Amino acid sequence: MEVLLLKVPSFKFSSPICCCSISTRSSSYVKFGIRRFSSVSVSASSTVNEAVTEPSLAAPSLGHTTRPHFPILHQEVNGKKLVYLDNAATSQKPAIVLKTLQSYYEEYNSNVHRGIHFLSAKATDEYESARRKIATFINASETREIVFTRNATEAINLVAYSWGLSNLKRDDEIILTVAEHHSAIVPWQLLAEKVGAVLKFVNLNQDEVPDIDKLQELLSRKTKLVVVHHVSNVLASVLPIRDIANWAHDVGAKVLVDACQSVPHMPVDVQSLNVDFLVASSHKMCGPTGIGFLYGKIDLLSSMPPFLGGGEMISDVFLDHSTYAEPPSRFEAGTPAIGEAIGLGAAIDYLSGIGMQTIHDYEVDLGRYLYERLLSVPNIRIYGPNPLEKIERVALCSFNVENIQATDLATLLDQLHGVAIRSGHHCAQPLHRFLGVNASARASLYFYNTKEDVDNFIQALKDTINFFK
Amino acid sequence: MLSSTFITASHTFLFTQPLNNNNNHSPLTTITHKKLKPPIISSSSIKSQSQNHPILTAPSLPLTTSTITVKLNRLASEFNTLTEPIERVKRLLDYASLLPPFDDSDRVPQNRISGCSTQVWVVSAMDNDGKLWFRADSDSEISKGFCWCLVWALNGAYPMEILHVTEKDLGHVDILGLGLKAKSRINTWHSLLLGMQKAAKDLLIRRELEEKAFCSSMVADDDHGGGVFANGKLSGIGIHGW
Repeated sequence: MEVLLLKVPSFKFSSPICCCSISTRSSSYVKFGIRRFSSVSVSASSTVNEAVTEPSLAAPSLGHTTRPHFPILHQEVNGKKLVYLDNAATSQKPAIVLKTLQSYYEEYNSNVHRGIHFLSAKATDEYESARRKIATFINASETREIVFTRNATEAINLVAYSWGLSNLKRDDEIILTVAEHHSAIVPWQLLAEKVGAVLKFVNLNQDEVPDIDKLQELLSRKTKLVVVHHVSNVLASVLPIRDIANWAHDVGAKVLVDACQSVPHMPVDVQSLNVDFLVASSHKMCGPTGIGFLYGKIDLLSSMPPFLGGGEMISDVFLDHSTYAEPPSRFEAGTPAIGEAIGLGAAIDYLSGIGMQTIHDYEVDLGRYLYERLLSVPNIRIYGPNPLEKIERVALCSFNVENIQATDLATLLDQLHGVAIRSGHHCAQPLHRFLGVNASARASLYFYNTKEDVDNFIQALKDTINFFK
Repeated sequence: MLSSTFITASHTFLFTQPLNNNNNHSPLTTITHKKLKPPIISSSSIKSQSQNHPILTAPSLPLTTSTITVKLNRLASEFNTLTEPIERVKRLLDYASLLPPFDDSDRVPQNRISGCSTQVWVVSAMDNDGKLWFRADSDSEISKGFCWCLVWALNGAYPMEILHVTEKDLGHVDILGLGLKAKSRINTWHSLLLGMQKAAKDLLIRRELEEKAFCSSMVADDDHGGGVFANGKLSGIGIHGW
C-alpha cells in the first residue's frame, strides 16, 4: 500500500513505515510505503501497526531502503566496499540535502533579513522555514526558541557566555557527568575560572552509566545549572532527562542538554522533557556541517545578553551604545550559514518522512545486533550498559580488544577492509580516564546501516585481530 | 623533553643499521665534503615504476647535504615498492619489532609526544660530539613502526640538521599509502618529527647554556686578563661545527 501525500509537514509515525523515495523538489511531496522489516522483532515494538502482518524475510530493512539515497556510501576505499560506521562523528547526507544546497546557491543565494528584492525574500523565507522545521522537529513551543549557531559546541558556549556570565557567581555549582563531551565541559571550565563557580562531576555506576542517584544527591540550592548529555557518544547510554530536569528545577537550577546523539536518532520533545536549553548539530543528523542550533525557553533567551556582537543582532547602533534585537536574532550576529540552515531543513524533512520513532526502533535492534556480535569477539571489552540486561543502549559500541591498540585496529580495518570506525578518546578524555584506558575504538550506526554492515565489520575485526597475533 | 645527559656515540642502545646494511661508517663524515647524489634504488627490491604511483611521480627533492634526507628517501623507496596496504603494514610491524626496549620509567607525561592519537614517548640525548640520539616507544604497534623509522633517520644527526627537516620532507614518505598531506590529529608521523625537533632544540639550548656557563667560569678564573677569551678564541671546549 502506498500513500502519496502533498506538502507534508514533519510528523511522527508510530508504525514501521519507511520512506522509500523522496521527491527531488524539497518539501513538495513524499511517497511512503508500508514496509515490513525482517530485521525488526515484532514483539520488541509496542507501536507496530496491527494491520501489518508477520515480518517477511524478503522485506528489505530500513537500512536497505535508505542506502540508495546516500551517494557517498557507494564507493570503494583501499579496494574494498566502504562500510561506514562512524556516524557518531558525523552522518552522511541524502541526495535531497545535497540537491537543496545546490539549488540554494544556483537559484536564490542572497543575504537574509536585509534585502527587499526577490532573491533575498526567497532566501529569507527558506531560512526561516528551516527554523520552523527545527522548532516543530523538537516540539519547541515557538519558533523564536530556536537560535541558529555554527554547531552544538558554539551553542553551549553561547549559553556559557550569555546566560552563564550574567547568572552565575562565586561558589555557584554546575553539575556535569564524567561522560560529557569536551564541548560540554570546557566552556563551563572557562566560565568557572571567570566567575569562581564550582564544577561537580557525577561518576559512573556499576552499569557504566552516570550515577543518577548520585546526581540527585549533588543537587542543592547552590546548584544553578545541570549540564548533561541525552545520549553518551561513548557509553551509548540514555539519561532520564525528564527526571533530571524535574529534580534540577526543584532546587532552582536550569538544565542544559547536549542532544547531539539523540536528536538525530529518536523523537525528542523539549516540552515533554522540560529542559531549559538543548543543543544539537546538523552534521550528525544528515544535514550539512557549519550549522547547529540552541533551543532555549523564550523567557530565558529574552533575559540573556548578547553573545557575539555585530550586524543582525542589533536594533539601533549609535557611536556610544547600541540596542539589541529580540531573540533569536539577538544571538545571530553576522551573515549566517544560510544555505546550510536550509540544508538542515531539508534533512529534517527527510528524517521526518521516515519517522524518528521508526528510525529509533530500527537502530535499537541493529544496535543490539552489533553488541551481540561484538561479544563474540574474544578478549573484547565493550563500554557502557549491557542491553541484554534491559538497560537502554543506542546503536554504537566503544570497545577495546586486549593487547591491541584501538588505533591499530582502526587503521587496519580501514586499510585492509574499507571499514570506517573511530579510535581515540572521542572527545571524552575524562571518561576514558575514569574507565582506565587511553583510547577506545568505536563503531556507531545510523539508519542507513544494515546487518550486513555489522557482519562485514565483525568479520574484518576478527581478521584484524588475527593479523596481530 | 630533556632527559639523560650525554651518551657516547658508541652506546649501542639504538638499532642504527641502515636499511640495506651497506653503510656502516658514520654518515656524517660522508656528507661534509661532497654533495649527495640522488638515492640509488636497489633494482632487486623494486617493481617497475608506475606512472600512477604518487610517491614515484612526485617532484624530486632538491639535493641537500643532509643524511636525514638520504635516509628519508630510502624509507620512501622502501615503502613505495610495497603497493599492497597489507605489505606496508607488515613491513611497519617488522620495524616495530626492532625497537629496543624502553624503560617504564621513561613512559611519563614529560616524554610524551602531543598530537598523536596513540601514546608515543621519546627520550633524547646529545653525545660529546653534539650529535643527537633518540629512543622511542608507543602503545600502538603501527606507531612503534613509525618510531623506528624516524629514530633511524634522525639518529646521529646534529640538532640543526634535525631542525631543518620540514614536514614537506617527511610528506613524501607516505608509509601507509594514505596520501595524507594535511596535518591531522591522527598523524603520528608528523607529530613525532615535531616532538623530536623540540627535543633537538631543547638539547641545543641546554648545550649552549652549559657552554656559556663554562666560558663564564673560565673567564672568572683567569684574573690576568688572558686565558681562553683573551684573543677572542675559545679553546678547550668540544664545539663541533654544523
